[in-house]
Amino acid sequence: MLDTEALMRIGLGHYIALSGIIFSFGMIAVMMRKNVIVMLMGVELMLNAVNLSFVAFAKEAGNLNGHIMVFFVMTIAAAEAGVGLALAVAIYKKFHEVNIRFFEQLKG
Amino acid sequence: MEIQFKLVDFLLVSPAVALFIFSCIPLLIKVLRGNVEQNSFATLIWGYMGIIIAAGLTVATMGSNRTAFEGALVFDGLSGFTGLVLLFVAAVSLTFARDSESTNDKQFTENMFLMLNCVVGMLTMAWANDLIVVFVGLELFSLCLYMMIALSLEQRTSKEAAFKYFILGSFASALMLYGISFIYGTVGSTYLPDMISAAPNLLATNRLFLFGFVLLLVGVCFKVAIFPFHAWAPDVYQGSPTPLTSFMATAVKAVSLAFFLRLVASQAFSVERFWPFVDVLQWLAVLTILVGNVGAFRQKSLKRMMAYSSIAHSGYVLIGLIAAGIGGASMLGAGGVMFYIFSYSIMTIGAFGVLHLLETRADSDLTFEDLRGLGRDKPWLALAMTILLLSLTGIPPTLGFWGKFFIFSAAVKQGLVWLAIWGVVGSIISVYYYLRPIVAMYMEEPTAGRYTFELRPLSYFAVLFLALLTMAFGLASEPVYQAVLASVSKVF
Repeated sequence: MLDTEALMRIGLGHYIALSGIIFSFGMIAVMMRKNVIVMLMGVELMLNAVNLSFVAFAKEAGNLNGHIMVFFVMTIAAAEAGVGLALAVAIYKKFHEVNIRFFEQLKG
Repeated sequence: MEIQFKLVDFLLVSPAVALFIFSCIPLLIKVLRGNVEQNSFATLIWGYMGIIIAAGLTVATMGSNRTAFEGALVFDGLSGFTGLVLLFVAAVSLTFARDSESTNDKQFTENMFLMLNCVVGMLTMAWANDLIVVFVGLELFSLCLYMMIALSLEQRTSKEAAFKYFILGSFASALMLYGISFIYGTVGSTYLPDMISAAPNLLATNRLFLFGFVLLLVGVCFKVAIFPFHAWAPDVYQGSPTPLTSFMATAVKAVSLAFFLRLVASQAFSVERFWPFVDVLQWLAVLTILVGNVGAFRQKSLKRMMAYSSIAHSGYVLIGLIAAGIGGASMLGAGGVMFYIFSYSIMTIGAFGVLHLLETRADSDLTFEDLRGLGRDKPWLALAMTILLLSLTGIPPTLGFWGKFFIFSAAVKQGLVWLAIWGVVGSIISVYYYLRPIVAMYMEEPTAGRYTFELRPLSYFAVLFLALLTMAFGLASEPVYQAVLASVSKVF
């Protein structure tokens, strides 16, 4: 019978790997997509991946700093989403679509 | 566990509190009057009062070398000096913002509120002694900046600039935060002195810490526009209203470089394991200087040219930062960096101020042609611009020359001769594009009629004052440099 015990024991490494994967997805979303809302979602995904790694490290180290940090990050992510969506509304009012392909004024 | 806050802690953070209170007063008045904007000059006076009180309190607490709130904030020479530079820059930009077509309409109160709170965030970052506080301060000022850019009355390019800045800024701060999480995971705390004392050992042994430290540096490099992370700067600087550009190009860089200097104080660059990264950083410094100078070479828009020039100046500072991080006479490098932050802020904000004075519409984007004949029509303004541009080039009696001199001589003392040579090569390239506006002002015939409009007096006075400071501090640079060295020596 296969030894599944080692696979099932979830440790710090698994959490860090998961947070790395989620972080990469967020990065890809920000860099590849043209839609403003999807890019905002990508940024949120990155910040939440960071939260995951903070909680995992805090559990490992056994102190509270990581948990406190997560609260700060959540608050800031909320503020950032607020500003980002406000910008999205401003862009929508001007260009009638939330897409960055209209951004061609500034280059060179 | 018991956490104690003493009264003196609140006294130490009082500059930020004062700024916040004074930023709220005009907004409150506007609300109480039923959303009717009050006279913008009165708003400006409230802002000045906040800044002057904050500066006074900063000076009062400057030499104390204390920490506050259980060591989360530190008040040493580095943070005090940076704080004063920030407050000065904010006062000047506020003056510009009131006089500008693109920021002063029915929203000047909001603009002032955001700008003062931006400075609160910057002060927090300058004082920060804990990576959490660094991140909170960084986000506070970044969010204020995104909104200020988007509030501009000019509709097309400012929205584009705000969104580009927002997405790339959030991206970079997420990277930085990821780095902080790895540093926390390996050090076990986010307290900066813990990190600094553990850094040499952990850099040599722990790959995760190395990764986190590099990500943290990447986040800072983005904010100061070091080469591979510089692409946002020209777009954002050109698209934003000029008063805000002047604020971004100086204050954001000053505070990010001060934090960079604090990281460098760990002497991480002297750890053998980190040497490959130091090589990369040296190449980045060279490439930043080249990209900035060559990019500025090709530009028609003066704002865009100044943006590329500010990238080049980040490259010069990076040379000083490397010199400050490799052990030995690192003090000289640190002093050079602080002096450069100070001199760069004064001359850059002055040069942007001249451009701002010549803009007559919310969407004007000046080119070299627009400067033609300025020497004849507005001789004093042309003289101020000449002094500021010569200082940015690094011509001897001016402030900019001494800034470069202290950085390059520190680099030579630390054995980084080739970096100093690249810095000088970059300065020589920069002569061309800094002298072109001067030639246009004095030697070319105007194409589009004369400068008949009145210059706005407050901004005009501010620009003349900055040009005067550039000359005066250039002639008397030694006392300033000694003061900077004395304030930095307690940190390093």
